[in-house]
Amino acid sequence: MTVTVLFFAKSAELAGLKEEELVAVPTPISSKDLWGLLLRKHPRLLVLEGQVVLAVRQQYVAICDQVLTLADGDEVAVVPPLSGG
Amino acid sequence: MSAEVRDVFKLSRDWLSVQEVVDTVSSSSCGAISVFIGTTREDQVDGRKVVGLEYEAYESMVQSELTKLCADIRTRWPSVRHVCIHHRLGWVSVGEASVIMAISSPHRHEGQQAVQYCISQLKANAPIWKKWLVVTV
Repeated sequence: MTVTVLFFAKSAELAGLKEEELVAVPTPISSKDLWGLLLRKHPRLLVLEGQVVLAVRQQYVAICDQVLTLADGDEVAVVPPLSGG
Repeated sequence: MSAEVRDVFKLSRDWLSVQEVVDTVSSSSCGAISVFIGTTREDQVDGRKVVGLEYEAYESMVQSELTKLCADIRTRWPSVRHVCIHHRLGWVSVGEASVIMAISSPHRHEGQQAVQYCISQLKANAPIWKKWLVVTV
């Protein structure tokens, strides 16, 4: 599967970009393994380990053993701690 | 009598207008408009003075999260009539409003509670981030 990854806030600074395509992503995949794929591509993201969640198709997903079924073109966002309002 | 209810959200790079937010929720069936304004506070971070903030957002998901939040508010306070939330994006100077929300309701009690809940939940769930602009004092 090819998914679009969006980086926000600190994760965008660490990865050096705001958006990229991630190709050959297996499905189903655990959120922990998906985070692992991102870490291999952008090792500087490791600083955020334990502080981020993902958003898959605009639903928050904790980084854990939860299994995700991804489809081509799905949006996955890296979500550092929120600070709106 | 119309049962139409409004949930209106806006992310704006321009300064926010309290009047616009209030006008969006006013209704002849409501005796109360409850308002919260979040302002950018002058602060110190690591001994440096905050002169402003920069906000960014996952805009499409902000919409979906605020839609869920409004549905949640209406479940808890069914008499709430209209909800309007405006939030800044980009640079905001100290003293300016970062977020303005208004909720109309027939009586004040539910509107006041709903608006407190609304800001707490926005801070907890809306994919919005701030970054401080600091100067050395």
